[in-house]
Amino acid sequence: MRNLLKRCYQCGRCSGVCQLSKVQKYTPSKIIQLILEGFEDKVIESGVLWDCLTCNQCLKDCPEEINFADIVRMARWKMRHIANQNPDELIAHKGMYTTISEIMSRPYIQPERSLDWVSKGCKISDKGTTLYYVGCLPYFNYEFENSDSIAKSTLKILCQIENEPIVVFKDEICCGHDIYWGQGKLKTFIKLGKKNMEMFEKAGISKIVTACAECYRTFKVDYPGIFDDFNDKFEVKHIIEFIYDNWKQNKIKFKNPSESSERIPFTYHDPCRLSRFLPKDNNITEKTREIFKEFKRLGYDFKEMEHNKKNSLCCGVSSWMNCNEKSKALRYKRMLEAKAAGDIMLTSCPKCKIHLSCLQDDFEDIASIEIMDFSEFLVDHIEIINPDKDTEITE
Amino acid sequence: MSKAKKKAKQKEEWTPELLVFCCNWCSYAGADLAGVSRFQYPPNMRIIRVMCSGRVDPTFVLKALKDGADGVLITGCHIGDCHYISGNEYTRDRFKKLHEIIIKQLGIDGKRVRLEWVSASEGKRFADLITEFTNQIKELGPLKVF
Repeated sequence: MRNLLKRCYQCGRCSGVCQLSKVQKYTPSKIIQLILEGFEDKVIESGVLWDCLTCNQCLKDCPEEINFADIVRMARWKMRHIANQNPDELIAHKGMYTTISEIMSRPYIQPERSLDWVSKGCKISDKGTTLYYVGCLPYFNYEFENSDSIAKSTLKILCQIENEPIVVFKDEICCGHDIYWGQGKLKTFIKLGKKNMEMFEKAGISKIVTACAECYRTFKVDYPGIFDDFNDKFEVKHIIEFIYDNWKQNKIKFKNPSESSERIPFTYHDPCRLSRFLPKDNNITEKTREIFKEFKRLGYDFKEMEHNKKNSLCCGVSSWMNCNEKSKALRYKRMLEAKAAGDIMLTSCPKCKIHLSCLQDDFEDIASIEIMDFSEFLVDHIEIINPDKDTEITE
Repeated sequence: MSKAKKKAKQKEEWTPELLVFCCNWCSYAGADLAGVSRFQYPPNMRIIRVMCSGRVDPTFVLKALKDGADGVLITGCHIGDCHYISGNEYTRDRFKKLHEIIIKQLGIDGKRVRLEWVSASEGKRFADLITEFTNQIKELGPLKVF
């Protein structure tokens, strides 16, 4: 771990921008210095790194580009396997969803997920080229009602644009993001990855579309780190990119089904996994903004929150770790910003949506904001351009 | 468990390993009564005593399955008899959801996870229930999670 940190010259910027440091005592620069001076064991023993949000704000502002979130990930592995710490108390929802992921990593388990959310007009199959990777949404239904509406609307969009049937696995398993980042269980993550690779290859997939920010980051960056040929075999796309590409190719256009003349202000919450966690050449945040610019013509007002794009605030919980009063404070801050910006708040991470809307039950002043997923919002606003009628495009 | 022990265990005939959650006021007393009255039932299960069946978090069930239990039985007081007035009603609602949304979608047979009401006076019923549940799991075979 020390070799990764050697470039640090203790400017202390990471501790300044750290989102967690606003609500509790937590100083990345101090931890880095401790490790550099040879007190790595003490840092590991103290268990302080379980608290990290892994929001990656520190990397974004670091002049030497030290990836602190990666350090945290490695430290979590060490804390679990070498210092024998058990973070079960810290996991949100008592570790329910991480346990589910672990069960799915076992070789004999074959999930039978319900496909009730697939709407009638959509054609789905087991084999094909384009896969819609749903993620854990059907399991979230246990505590959060109606969470598969994200899956429903995403599939609707995909079916409208693609002519071929979309592949949706009945026995899809977890991508392993939470296990990898939150739990430090590298072995389980690799098991899940291998199982996933096999499934994709069997079905003959070449393009993976997902609506989850975490799944996207895992497929885009973490899987190629483990399987060298992952990127050659599969093309990974977030639903935002998918819509953007089709829009630029003039296959679709946006419309506004409601005819009221009132302008509706809305805002967008950038999930950390889509803004700060991607390689620098990935400009998905800009693509999102371009789509929103188009929406200005349709009677919507897109307003940025105070912290946006790569500086956006964290929703307070990542990979189901540490849901407590501190993360609630962070969320409340985010919701106040959203309230100042608009009536509707969009996000493209199902978990951000869950975390932020959970807080609305506790505080009345922010309950009026409508939190929607990107695909839920766009599903009614997409119109397919028929290639036979060229006149429509010029219009 | 050491490797030698594990090997020795594999050679023997497979017997299911069951986990039973008993509530302190009814079911645990029921199990006690079954013991005191010398009713015979299979010894493959381990009892965990909880103060109320409402204490049983769905995560306990999932973790048990993950760590090698072949079946999980949750027992509590009959509806309306709960020592804490409505604890078992929570269990009932939660369990229904757990069953429908998670156990089913994970591809685990729904018969492996069961919820039953056993009162303190039903020693015989407790013994019968364990016998029946063990036989059921024996028919289903081991839950291969490893």
